[in-house]
Amino acid sequence: MIALLRKLIPLALPVAVLSWLGLLLCMLLRASPPAAARWGLPPDWVILTTQALFAAGVFLHERARPDRLRGTEFVPLLRQLLVWPGALAAVCVVLHLAERLLAAYVPDRGPVLLNAFYVINLGLFVYFLARTCYTWRSLVFFRSQPRIRQEWRWFEVLLGVALMFRLVSGDSISWFILPVLLVLAGLGVYLSAHQQWIAYLNRRQKWEIVFLQLAILGVMTVFGAYFYSLQNDPQLAGPLAQHAFLVLTSFFAGFYAVMGFLVTLFNLPTAGVFEQKREEILSMQRLSQLIQKGQSEKEVYSLLFDSAVQTVEADAAWLDLDTDGDAPGFSYQVDAPTREGICRLLADYNIGHIEYLNNDLPNSAGFRALELPYGSLIVMPLRSTKHHYGTLYLLKETRQGFDRENLSLLQIFTNQTVLSIENLRLLQESLQTERVKEELKIASLVQESLIPKTLPADSWFEIRWHSLPAREVGGDFYDFLQLSASRIAIIIGDVSGKGTTAAFHVAQMKGIFHSLMLLDKPEKGQPLQPSKFMAMANQALSHCLERSSFITASFYIVDYKERGFAFARAGHCHTLYYNAITEETFYFQTEGLGLGILRDPAAYEKRIKNMYYDYNPGDVMVMYTDGIVEARNAQDEEYGEDRLRKLLERSHYLEAEDIKQSIIRDVEEFSRGLPPFDDQTLLIIKFKNAQPLA
Amino acid sequence: MKIVPHATTDTLTLALDGELDASSSVSLDTELTKPDVLDYRKVMIDCQRLNYISSAGLGVFISHLQRFQDAGVKLVFFNMQDKVHNVFEILGLDSLMTIVPTQQEATAV
Repeated sequence: MIALLRKLIPLALPVAVLSWLGLLLCMLLRASPPAAARWGLPPDWVILTTQALFAAGVFLHERARPDRLRGTEFVPLLRQLLVWPGALAAVCVVLHLAERLLAAYVPDRGPVLLNAFYVINLGLFVYFLARTCYTWRSLVFFRSQPRIRQEWRWFEVLLGVALMFRLVSGDSISWFILPVLLVLAGLGVYLSAHQQWIAYLNRRQKWEIVFLQLAILGVMTVFGAYFYSLQNDPQLAGPLAQHAFLVLTSFFAGFYAVMGFLVTLFNLPTAGVFEQKREEILSMQRLSQLIQKGQSEKEVYSLLFDSAVQTVEADAAWLDLDTDGDAPGFSYQVDAPTREGICRLLADYNIGHIEYLNNDLPNSAGFRALELPYGSLIVMPLRSTKHHYGTLYLLKETRQGFDRENLSLLQIFTNQTVLSIENLRLLQESLQTERVKEELKIASLVQESLIPKTLPADSWFEIRWHSLPAREVGGDFYDFLQLSASRIAIIIGDVSGKGTTAAFHVAQMKGIFHSLMLLDKPEKGQPLQPSKFMAMANQALSHCLERSSFITASFYIVDYKERGFAFARAGHCHTLYYNAITEETFYFQTEGLGLGILRDPAAYEKRIKNMYYDYNPGDVMVMYTDGIVEARNAQDEEYGEDRLRKLLERSHYLEAEDIKQSIIRDVEEFSRGLPPFDDQTLLIIKFKNAQPLA
Repeated sequence: MKIVPHATTDTLTLALDGELDASSSVSLDTELTKPDVLDYRKVMIDCQRLNYISSAGLGVFISHLQRFQDAGVKLVFFNMQDKVHNVFEILGLDSLMTIVPTQQEATAV
């Protein structure tokens, strides 16, 4: 059925034009007896059929036109409807008057003119009706449910049926047609109730629509009056057009226009409210758009303040900001004493920082005492779960000035604002973090530069080292100083804690090491004893180390001439040693308290011991920090001293570099996949048999 | 890390449970910093369930050591696991602090 209609659509316009010409011909034939005598008198059913075909053609053509409604441009839609078809009504009036005038001059041609103009006017009217009906369809369908479209289709089908009635039933309205006509009229009334589009008009547009609807009704009245006056004119040569169809469509077109007119008219007083709601929605949109642009906090607050004042139409308002003490906040038509008075009162009531709505200030004792010119107050805090950013106060002169919607809208405003402020702060924080990261990188580079890169290379020993901080900067340190051709000082240590603070102490410790080494004067018979070094370092550190920090260190002075070394251990990991003569691998078990723990110099000196040891070629000394022996595996076990000792038992014969590599590899394998828990530092010394270079 | 305090008239016993690392040592420090801690004659630290102690944890005890001595409060550790004891020993703290094997000995100190 629909497919068939679709195929007929391109034919609709030609059929309408042809049938209209046919109708014109028939009516003229019937109006002039001489012509009828020559060509024959067309029967009634031909006239009725051409009329029906014409009406069907015009309606189908209008039906197939694309929807004339663009978005929510209702006013242009109605204006178009009025301009063209309205002009047709003018034509109708002019033709009617012209016909009367001409009939007076040429009385014998009167019936011909009357019938010709009747056909023209009928054409114009049918077109006007079709155009109006389908304009109303656009409005009925506006934001409607699919159900409405279904109902409209039924309405059209019934109209089509009504169009046929005239063909079969003649002039009278028979009993079986009446119910159909009543149903159609009822459907028309029902469809006329769909006037949702009016809600989308603002006040000015509503006024325009009221006048446009009136004008359209006027046009219909003009046509109606014309056809009504013609109905009983004896000069009308043919049968009247399909009145059931035309009356029904006119009824629908007129009823919808009347309904629209009334609805619009009664909506006029509330138009202001609608507009205010629209304004609220718009300012909310504005607010959320600006929030996305990531502007400054001040701009966001100012936007909130302006939007809030504008949308609730406050007579006075201010915004207190908690941030940074001297932030000025915002105020609108309110003086400092009023602000202070209200704030003090709210603080007295202990409701200074919660949502508060008072629509009847003159009836609250506290506010009455303030003698304010205001009747309503809203207090709206700006806060997130963690922070309180400020408080917004809005005042109105009238009582009952604010409603629930105002309150919930303000909540949305403040929530959006808080969200954007938090976003801005997060952004700043991340920038700050980025800068700190950058500075840490620099600190790491500085520390890198503090680590000795070149070693006092000599043929009587070989030394290798490895250092891996757990973070950007570490708390492990080691250093060397060639004291003379045959003596070298070595220090390895660990500052408690990790990261930047530890790195500062590392730098301090390096300074202490190099300063104290100036006191070593073996040529005067005053070589620096390791225990003395530790005691002095402890004393120096007690001035600059916080109470909960301490440093562990091992300090060695190796003397090639003596073929021995002296050392002291201040709480640092035991030194691992391989003796090539006895082929034993062991830890030096010496006593010694960590630096910075005991700040009394005399008491500390008692707790640090010197140790002397004679080395042999082939001996290996392994110095390390706790990051090595405390490295953990997935089972949370520690690498441990035993494992390290056993590894050296197997690898002591290797070169220093290879011993180092084997230890690193073993620790890595042990703690496979886990990031270093602590800084790891490793020093390997292998003593050689070679003579020093002269 | 869990710290369970238990007080008698003149003794405060703190039972440490878990790992004493940088973050948990803060709560231990808060516990030891309380002014009424100095009203006791003795503070005993039960290390039976202490699995690990970091340098930050050691730092807490070191920083309170002098304060306790000045106030005449004894600090006694007992039930210490070997690996934790080893950490105290390497640093030399075993000669500075009272570490005893059992609770009875700690009570007797």
